[in-house]
Amino acid sequence: MKQKIKPKVAFFDLAGCEGDQLQIANLEEKILDLLNLVEVVSFREVMKEHSDDYDIAFIEGSATNDHAEERLKEIRKNADIVVAIGACATIGGVNSIRNKQNHEEVGERVYGDNAELSELYISWEKAKPVDAVIKVDYKIHGCPIDRDEFLHVVESLVVGRVPNIPDYPVCVECKLNENVCAFEREEFCVGPVTRAGCDACCVNEGTRCWGCRGLIDNPNEEAHMEVLEEYGLTPEDVMKEFDLYFTWQKEARENE
Amino acid sequence: MNKTPYLPEDATILKITPMTERETLFEIELENGNTLGHQPGQFVEVSVPGVGEAPISISSSPTKDGNSFELCVRAVGNVTNILHGLKEGDNIGIRGPYGTGFPVDELKGKDVLFIAGGLGIAPLRSFINYALDKRDEFANVKILYGCREPCELLYEEEIDGWKERDDIEYLETVDRCPEGVCWEGNIGVITTLIPGIDIDLENTYAVICGPPIMYKFVLMELDKKNIPDERIILSLERHMKCGLGKCGHCQINGSNAEYYVCQDGPVFNYADIKGFEEAL
Amino acid sequence: MKIIKKDDLDSFVDYLIGSDPREVVGVKERGSKYAFDKLKSSKELRLDYDVTILPPKKYLLPQRETLLKFKSNDKIKTEPVNEVNGRIIVGVHPYDLIAIEQMDRIFSEEPEDPNYLKKREATVLIGVNMKNTSERCFAGSMKTAFTQDGYDLMLTDLGGKYAVEIGTEKGKELLKKSGVALADAGEEDKKMIEEKKRSLTFESKINFEPSDLPELMKSNYDNDKFWEENADNCYSCGTCNLVCPTCYCFDVKDLMEVTLKEGSRIRQWDGCLLEHFAEVAGGENFREERAQRYRHRYMRKGLYLHNRFEDIACVGCGRCSSQCVPDIADPAEIFNKLKEGKI
Repeated sequence: MKQKIKPKVAFFDLAGCEGDQLQIANLEEKILDLLNLVEVVSFREVMKEHSDDYDIAFIEGSATNDHAEERLKEIRKNADIVVAIGACATIGGVNSIRNKQNHEEVGERVYGDNAELSELYISWEKAKPVDAVIKVDYKIHGCPIDRDEFLHVVESLVVGRVPNIPDYPVCVECKLNENVCAFEREEFCVGPVTRAGCDACCVNEGTRCWGCRGLIDNPNEEAHMEVLEEYGLTPEDVMKEFDLYFTWQKEARENE
Repeated sequence: MNKTPYLPEDATILKITPMTERETLFEIELENGNTLGHQPGQFVEVSVPGVGEAPISISSSPTKDGNSFELCVRAVGNVTNILHGLKEGDNIGIRGPYGTGFPVDELKGKDVLFIAGGLGIAPLRSFINYALDKRDEFANVKILYGCREPCELLYEEEIDGWKERDDIEYLETVDRCPEGVCWEGNIGVITTLIPGIDIDLENTYAVICGPPIMYKFVLMELDKKNIPDERIILSLERHMKCGLGKCGHCQINGSNAEYYVCQDGPVFNYADIKGFEEAL
Repeated sequence: MKIIKKDDLDSFVDYLIGSDPREVVGVKERGSKYAFDKLKSSKELRLDYDVTILPPKKYLLPQRETLLKFKSNDKIKTEPVNEVNGRIIVGVHPYDLIAIEQMDRIFSEEPEDPNYLKKREATVLIGVNMKNTSERCFAGSMKTAFTQDGYDLMLTDLGGKYAVEIGTEKGKELLKKSGVALADAGEEDKKMIEEKKRSLTFESKINFEPSDLPELMKSNYDNDKFWEENADNCYSCGTCNLVCPTCYCFDVKDLMEVTLKEGSRIRQWDGCLLEHFAEVAGGENFREERAQRYRHRYMRKGLYLHNRFEDIACVGCGRCSSQCVPDIADPAEIFNKLKEGKI
């Protein structure tokens, strides 16, 4: 396949742990192949230089305040293609757990009694994924992202095709890997409503799916809630299962 | 070496003719020098290594001069988008031809009413040009062609030639014409052309290709004209991944029968798929 | 028919593992379940298993399989790939043998699929009659609990010894070459086998003849209410397809190395229950509703493949039923409800 463009790329981070950029920094020998495909002009985690002249912007983290919104709008202006990377950026991630909680209490929990006075606590009531603020062209899901999937997206953009991001549940990959279903191990799993693409890595390791890649486009949430209750969870516990990663998506779906 | 039906033949793009914003005509030749050996209505799997394959109906008639064949491609997915970025002389892979073509022999000596909607003209053109090249083998030939807007009309130059012929009847229409666009022809959906045409009920076959929504309404109009189902031929679009009747993606069903569009179609007699909720 | 002592069967399996150039796979424990996997020793083999997570089709039509490889320098070179490993599969239950025979018919129908057929040719199937049955297995009523063919060798546990039925020359050679001690089966042994077969019980069953299925499915195609009600809790996760021994649909896609110099075309198991299965490039989806997809699977099992190959494409293994998390995929239950005219 021929490379159509050698784009300039830049990495940005909002509210998040920067674990996704770390995945990219840790690409090891493949990072050289990556640098053949693209020119990195901004990547705070690994270089000092910065340029506002870029074609593709990779954005990690959630938007939580006006400053983030300004930055995002600036990035959107500069970039031809915007890619959200990691759960915080693609679906609001763990940041949005607090969206259903009392805003002041959240502040107090983090900053103590000084929350109201703290300059650090300038935050919207809701943490938002990037596409709630600006148009996003592609999403690389996961917490953290999968390195191979990141490379697949870059390579696709460079040759001019749409990356192949699955829209089927993790169950598919669990079956392909012949895993014993988490439910058979008396664990609760949100794999049946979660977007695959991770190769069911958590279940492969003997644990369960936590939902970090977000809901598939058309999940059967009601069925899954029913199932979780049948397996012995209380309605409250069921909601918690859905709140870890799905808070923003669930709210968006309810408002549709 | 293993002989495998999954291995495409090497082919070269001889000529690229942009037709509309989304559609381009590709003239292609197999590198082994053979002709494709297709029937009108058949399709090929076009392979772009590293990107994938897409089933594309063959748009040229087997009666065309030379060894090459033509595909009219709409940029709508990964393979077709990448195809649109290729240059003359570039290589692609071709598997096929696959599927059943139009029943050209059965239609010899008959009146043929072609009805094309949008990109549906691409597979029909293969048969239309066949019929024009062997004009005396068919009785009356009528062509109805409709698009959403004038800018979407395909094969304009070639169609100018059809319009000039006095041994066929050609009618075209557009659903709408945006302001400022010069269009002196018909405005209205393709079904508006059907009531006005004369049909010899004993001798006419209708051959249709277009988007799913078009079939529904065209079939209703043809029913009003009392054309029997057995004399309506249509071509269906599905995403054939293998072309070999294996992968299952193109299977359509009713309660009485099921078909693999890649092998049993894409051309069907309407009587065989009537009432299949998954077919139309 | 021959008789082999339990210890000698173990030695036979160990001999195959140690001396046969082919890979030897068999049923092993996996967590609380069972799976076909590479054997290191006969001690790992569990011939008393009830059912495996995936059927042995994974060796003939692998979950992911390379069809072509691309290499690009000036010009792209494309080469066909067919990764064939000779393999001896030990412990295949009759319903899975019957499913493999169905797959053989599908992939040898013109145009033939060499990627399947070459693997099949290089495979030796050592079957075993069921000693235990899984809770959802209804092979008894599907007439798939026993089979007279489709195996190279067939074992039946007679307690301390096994009966060995020889199905093919391939199987006969395997025994001969190993030099394993075999005795001829006597009348007592044959009686014992019959007794074992008679005593095999199934907790689940269909309440009618499987040959009635095609008509039953045909007459219920338009039973929209039935399909909608029963599909209500379907996740569209494709589990029922993926674990089915007779499901063979696949997706084809291209992969590229990040160097852009090499790539491959692979096929991967797909499932008609997945939402985008019947979608075309323009976005039109010809089975958009859960209920349509749900119905499609039962139609394929009971009617469509019967029309094409005269096979009832459900062998009653119960995998779909036991692995469906919302528990809506039990063919025995669905078929019985349809027969009784219930929702």
